[in-house]
Amino acid sequence: MSLLAHWEFGTLVLFILLFLGVPISFALALLGTVGTAAIIGWSPSYSLLGQTYFEHSRSYSLSILPLFLMMGNFVVQSGIARDLYSAAYAWLRHRKGGLAVATVVACGGFSSVCGSSLATASTMAKIALPNMRKFGYPDSLSTASIAAGGTLGILIPPSVILVFYGIMTQQDIGKLFLAGILPGILGVVLYAVAVRISIRFGHFDLPVEDKLPLRERIVALKGVAGALGLFAFVMGGIYFGVFTPTESAGMGAGGAFLLVLLQGRLNLSQTLSTLFETAKTTAMMFFILFGALTFANYVNLSGMSRDIQTLVTSVGDNPLMVILIITLVYLVLGCVLEGLSMITLTVPIFYPIVAAQGFDLIWFGIYVVIVTEVSYITPPVGLNAFVLKSVVKDVQLGTIFRGLTSFLLVDVLRVVLILAFPAIVLLVPNMM
Amino acid sequence: ETVLTMNSWLPPTHPQVSELFVPWMADIERVTEGRVKINMLPAPLGPPPAAFDLAKNGVADIAYSVHGYTPGRFKTPMIAEMPFMSDSSVATSVAFWRVHEALLKDAGEYEGVKVLTLFTHGPGEIFSTKPIETPEDISGQKIRIGSALAHSIATDLGAVPVEGPSSKAYELLSQGVADGIFFPFESVNFFNLNDILDYGYTVPGGLYNTAMFVVMNEAKWNSISPEDQALIEPLLGEAFARRAGEMWDKVDAEGRASMEGKIALKAATPEEIEVLRDRLAPIVASQIAKVSETGIDGQAAYDMLFDEIAKIEAEE
Amino acid sequence: MNLSENIAGPHEQGLPPKAARPIHGVIAVACAVLLIAMMGLTVVDVLGRYLLNSPVKGATELTELMLAALIFLGLPAATLDREHVTVDLITDRLPLAIDKIRRPIVLLLSVGVQVMIAWRLWVTASQVAGYGGTTATLELPVAPIGYFSAMLCIVSAVIMFAEIFYPMRGKN
Ligand code: NA
Ligand code: NA
Repeated sequence: MSLLAHWEFGTLVLFILLFLGVPISFALALLGTVGTAAIIGWSPSYSLLGQTYFEHSRSYSLSILPLFLMMGNFVVQSGIARDLYSAAYAWLRHRKGGLAVATVVACGGFSSVCGSSLATASTMAKIALPNMRKFGYPDSLSTASIAAGGTLGILIPPSVILVFYGIMTQQDIGKLFLAGILPGILGVVLYAVAVRISIRFGHFDLPVEDKLPLRERIVALKGVAGALGLFAFVMGGIYFGVFTPTESAGMGAGGAFLLVLLQGRLNLSQTLSTLFETAKTTAMMFFILFGALTFANYVNLSGMSRDIQTLVTSVGDNPLMVILIITLVYLVLGCVLEGLSMITLTVPIFYPIVAAQGFDLIWFGIYVVIVTEVSYITPPVGLNAFVLKSVVKDVQLGTIFRGLTSFLLVDVLRVVLILAFPAIVLLVPNMM
Repeated sequence: ETVLTMNSWLPPTHPQVSELFVPWMADIERVTEGRVKINMLPAPLGPPPAAFDLAKNGVADIAYSVHGYTPGRFKTPMIAEMPFMSDSSVATSVAFWRVHEALLKDAGEYEGVKVLTLFTHGPGEIFSTKPIETPEDISGQKIRIGSALAHSIATDLGAVPVEGPSSKAYELLSQGVADGIFFPFESVNFFNLNDILDYGYTVPGGLYNTAMFVVMNEAKWNSISPEDQALIEPLLGEAFARRAGEMWDKVDAEGRASMEGKIALKAATPEEIEVLRDRLAPIVASQIAKVSETGIDGQAAYDMLFDEIAKIEAEE
Repeated sequence: MNLSENIAGPHEQGLPPKAARPIHGVIAVACAVLLIAMMGLTVVDVLGRYLLNSPVKGATELTELMLAALIFLGLPAATLDREHVTVDLITDRLPLAIDKIRRPIVLLLSVGVQVMIAWRLWVTASQVAGYGGTTATLELPVAPIGYFSAMLCIVSAVIMFAEIFYPMRGKN
């Protein structure tokens, strides 16, 4: 018991529980409560647990989450996956590797709306993979395009992870969303470059289709016009201050509802299913958050932040060094944790250290999300590659990772660019 | 040696932390010759509404917060949130403490904790992006408010109340979700609103105020030796309230000075004050009635508060 | 396809469909009502602010209460459909014999945590009820939402406890 008063031991026990397969949300709550009890006694620790769950479940700023999830699920219900892919395909089919780039764009767009890499992998694999195989694309490139494209969703707004980051660091969620736009576009462009690199070095002989007439390409946009309009409505509303980010979620959900209604795709059973999914995901995410907050109280009382701060500054009291250490931590943690758990667990510890080094916390939020994206496709354990493997059973994991090499290469370039030119992140939010 | 943990949810740069609590903590350590120390936690253990229970349940030893963050729980402190009290936070804070000692504490709202002090901020005024020359101009403006009483006052003046935490003030105003805000002078400056806001309308004694507490777990207090308790007592209660008031008056003056050339302040004319008094009288009466629900004579507490304020203002 | 299968898939795992179906149905309808209400409230509040200069009184606190209800309603549903995030790096590769021991232990631990949370939510709510805690503007009591949350945590714990006796089908 008294051993748990030391955070080093507590963290070890936490990871043992996680590897045993205890749900992250409950493992965090258990360790947080027992650890806190070791420091201040059982009765206060229990009271703290009750207060944490009771107070935070009624947080107005967090109501943004279910509403954005609801918006995304409605857009998915409207059949956006196929429409996105057709539109991207119509515009890119005449370019070399166009089909793979179209897949990246469609996966980025789809994962951004639905917010789940699992759903992106399973949905897009069904739509994009058969087509790429038909045209002779190698499995390595096809699967890598899906896996890499799917990582972009947590950066392109609206992003659940950025909401959690904003809540934990008291940063403006609207600014965080706006800050994600340019790095998200940069990600898409660089992934297109990665496709070209793969083709060049793999000596793939890929067919190029005829260019569609402009008229037909514009017609192909019809299916995504609603979703694009919705995105512009939500981001524009935040940018021009028509509503707060929290309100934008409700307005966006309302817009998405209208979209499904206008497309005639609203049937009661399907809508009920969409809302049920939203509620389940909401519960799952909030319980991770509550668990992380309970654990953060233990971290707070155990003096962990101070110890780590001392440790980091003793290694090198140099901003770049601090960022590199943090980057490494994320790449390692990314082997076992998915993004939301990783962010809720680490951000409370890291953000005071980073702020003390003079980094902008909006910038750091975007940086952390990009590094998390990279960890999703980094071997030996890349979450998105694993997820895709579980969906596409006839492709070897090694094949997927081989295809991801060039994508990882451009991701490193993106991380370096963001470090060297913070303006890529801060330009849009600072114009607000 | 006793180390007391203190929960803090304001940023460390906020004057209530840096200029009030931190020097006060150092004084406690000094008078007890290091036998009693206070350790302020690097991050809060819960959101601001949780603070009172954190101390009551012994999660943290000392906690501070705003009474109004847990609506329904504290009725007596509403006495100190009334309009037209005083332009001096020393006067309102010390008077609030004296009324608490004389009358309010019998309501038994602070069971399980030792009340270290009670205080208020400086006079709360209206600031806006749109001109306010007379009380009529407030009508129709979207005003961010932070408490139930301020909500009633804003509504009564015809404003459209916008709800939201003070930490979101910049966002609400810069984006035009709210036109204006109810705030003390200091907070306008602290939340960097000088460049966004253009107009201020001031009422002598303020249009509203906010009551705040600092409490300590009772068992923890009793565990301190009587000798050390005796050494600490002079730093609590009225002395602590005065100290809080002095801090607020100082930063309010700084806040007011920083508005120079950025915010046009208009003071209410005597006629306007009379109009406002009449309009807000029912709200004042209903708040007094709410205080009386606790078994305390609300009117007596209200009268004593204003008597004490007058006395303290005369001394200054 | 019945409603339950449509909203939660064909129940290949966990509780038998007969037990899962009514829970799915009730929760789905309640969550749908809450989400639509939260959405509608925001839309009406924003439109009211701009078009009529009168936002909905207490919109913020109503949203807060509905959020809490939604989170805790979703919990038993997430438990029923096994949507809690776990690290499956090692557990997926365990031999069946070991997994047979591991699984009940993990489930029991999770049940215990949920019971603990439920208990503390109940105690916190009764403390809030003790001092008459309300919302700021509409003065609605907040303790009931705490009791409600605690009860749903228990429902989720019961579902998870029952799962111990229904090993995952389709896993070899
Ligand atoms: Na997104
Ligand atoms: Na990885």
